[in-house]
Amino acid sequence: MTSRILVVDDDTALAEMIGIVLRTEGFEPSFCADGAVAVDAFRAESPDLVLLDLMLPGIDGIEVCGRIRSESGVPIIMLTARSDTADVVRGLESGADDYIVKPFNPKELVARIRTRLRPATDAAGAVLRIGDLVVDVAAHEVRRGTTSIALTPLEFELLVALASKPQQVFSREMLLEQVWGYHYKADTRLVNVHVQRLRAKVELDPDNPKIVTTVRGVGYRAGAVT
Amino acid sequence: MARGAPDPASAPRKPGGASSAPRKPGGASSAPRSTGTAAKAPVAFSWRAPGTWIEGIETLWRRSLRFRTLVVTVALTMGAILVAGVWMALAIQNDLFQSRLDQVQGDSRRASAAAQSILDASATDGDRVAAQNLMTAVRSEIVQQIPGARFSVSRIEQAPAPNAPLDITSGLDEQLVSEGMRERVVHSSADALWWQSVALPAATGSTVPGIIVGQQLNFPDVGPYELYLAFDLADADTTLLFVQRTLWLAGGALVLLVTAIAWFVLRSVTTPIAEAADTSARLAAGDLEVRLPVRGEDELATLGRSFNAMADSIQKQIKELADLSLVQQRFVSDVSHELRTPLTTIRLAADMINDQRDGFDPATARAAELMHAQVQRFEVLLVDLLEISRYDAGSVQLELEPTSLTHLAEDVIESMQQLAQQHGTDVRLVAPGGYSPVEMDARRIRRIVRNLIGNAIEHGEGRPIVITVDSDQRAVALGVRDFGLGMSAADAERVFDRFWRADPSRKRTIGGTGLGLSIALGDARLHGGTLAVWSEPGRGTHFVLTLPRVPGSELESSPIRLDPHEEGEALLDELGATQPIDIAEAAALLARDARDTQDARKGEPS
Repeated sequence: MTSRILVVDDDTALAEMIGIVLRTEGFEPSFCADGAVAVDAFRAESPDLVLLDLMLPGIDGIEVCGRIRSESGVPIIMLTARSDTADVVRGLESGADDYIVKPFNPKELVARIRTRLRPATDAAGAVLRIGDLVVDVAAHEVRRGTTSIALTPLEFELLVALASKPQQVFSREMLLEQVWGYHYKADTRLVNVHVQRLRAKVELDPDNPKIVTTVRGVGYRAGAVT
Repeated sequence: MARGAPDPASAPRKPGGASSAPRKPGGASSAPRSTGTAAKAPVAFSWRAPGTWIEGIETLWRRSLRFRTLVVTVALTMGAILVAGVWMALAIQNDLFQSRLDQVQGDSRRASAAAQSILDASATDGDRVAAQNLMTAVRSEIVQQIPGARFSVSRIEQAPAPNAPLDITSGLDEQLVSEGMRERVVHSSADALWWQSVALPAATGSTVPGIIVGQQLNFPDVGPYELYLAFDLADADTTLLFVQRTLWLAGGALVLLVTAIAWFVLRSVTTPIAEAADTSARLAAGDLEVRLPVRGEDELATLGRSFNAMADSIQKQIKELADLSLVQQRFVSDVSHELRTPLTTIRLAADMINDQRDGFDPATARAAELMHAQVQRFEVLLVDLLEISRYDAGSVQLELEPTSLTHLAEDVIESMQQLAQQHGTDVRLVAPGGYSPVEMDARRIRRIVRNLIGNAIEHGEGRPIVITVDSDQRAVALGVRDFGLGMSAADAERVFDRFWRADPSRKRTIGGTGLGLSIALGDARLHGGTLAVWSEPGRGTHFVLTLPRVPGSELESSPIRLDPHEEGEALLDELGATQPIDIAEAAALLARDARDTQDARKGEPS
């Protein structure tokens, strides 16, 4: 099955080139050059993944990202010309799963896309417990008691990674490798921002986290099962 | 007051006639004029006070214009009033004395003239009784002329004369009359009059200033007698004391008044000055909104206006610069975006073409390869340039997180292992310290370390590279030492310059941009740290990165010694340049070395 990828970029040359690369790799790209119609295009295409340029005419990429995320957990990878703190963090906070800084090479792009599109964790079938939550890996579901909590695939994967080894303290680098597929040093802000987003959804009190606890100077670990 | 103290040295004077001109002060020194007050200088401060008090005064003197001006004003006023007071006191004293002296001389003349007239009108005819009566008459005449007079009459001739009347004395001890005066009275003419200042015994036992006037009386048939009349100056003394006291009190009051006036006047001047000083200090501290209040049109108003104009101008220029800096940052950001998007397209295209070069003819394939490599180089250069321009625009924000420098170094070494192997270089980490996490921007520090190690591999001539990590209480440090060709001191000074290369003819094996060390230095400085280099031709190069444990704290020294001392060299030999090494042994050796270094570092600039 070919994965459909929506490329939201106002630079037609780049969009076309990305399209060529994606087709070569067996993906099925569609294009949108205007932020204002990006959400509509998303609804029309219902892609498996969105490549989103941060600087767009109409509505800017961060806004588009937020709108898509509000109605879908579909993976979003930002394309950004700036690695400056503010823009990247704002993009991640608005729901992007990952980002690629321009200029990137085809292999990097494809690797990032494949990581986000890969099927759920190999621990399928297991039911994990973390804090007062039940994580049903096979059903891709997180429950507190009888209430189901909606997570994006990335957040789910992050939670599963922590819950599957409750005794282990995960450094940001370990999580980057396991969840994002980075085999080299990458931006630890990815982890920080997504842990915050995950906490906002699963913690009863995000300021006093019990599910994903911080181990200062090292990283994160799963909270004790209650 | 010591007026009229007996003064044997002061010769009796003969006044120029009965009405002598008033003596000027500062003329011949006569005993009554030597006043004690003139000798006493006013003492403004008691310097016997505790040291802190003196220090306080000194600080005030240095720091407070008002205090200093006030002290100077008061001191000068006091001096002026003192001089005026002394002069007035002396003048009054002199005048009082002179008038009393004139009166005394007049009285004396009258009394002696009356006495002499009695003597002249009588004749004793050698009768002793008559002479004695005559003397009694003289006595009563003197008493009548000068009631309560203290006087003595004694015969000049020492030869016994049967008919001479006995000397008389009334309240005056002739011992008070000096020899010199007696001499003059005895040897001068009958109507000459001499005077002398003396201290007269008073009823209370103390002495009062007084004048003794000496004359001759001529007794018929018997010969000349000396007549001494004593007058006390107690009244004049009282008057003088009163006048002087009034004078000093008035002087003191005047000083206080001047002090108060000066204080008020100074306050009206120094308050605006202090305000101006305070305002300019705030302006200098960065508060560009402050202005001086302008009142009236005097010099202070001019100062205020000029200051405000200056502040306006500074504010305007700083705003322009800030705007310019913003424009610059925006420009950098825009360039970043505008350049990167087409570059991305080129990069994607170049990579794709390069991947398929096997299907091309050799020339096209090579062209594809070159394009691919140069696009990558272009990209690295663009990234570095943008990084540099971010430093220049001051728009870099650190992402601080607790990081272990040793672990970071281990990671970087591991990631560079492949490159090291390509160059046949052995990279070794020796870390006696630096394990505990320190706040740093790991991404930037990693970039520095990667850059330093890359440089070392490139210039290390295949010899081992030793990376040292150590820490002390205030800092963590990382040293990268290669044993390659090294550089001259002049070259080492320029390694951080942009686009600078030690040897332009050297082949670039690792595609650096020439900006790496500039960026590394910028990153180190952003952390409040230092990046130092030691290099010597033939001995290799040593870069030491030092970061403070607490961001922003001052760095005084580095835990790692920059220049390798002899022991260090020997130590590295001991470690074995190329042989496999026992990590535990090496760590122990370097720990020892580090201790030695700590000792040796004292008193040496970092």
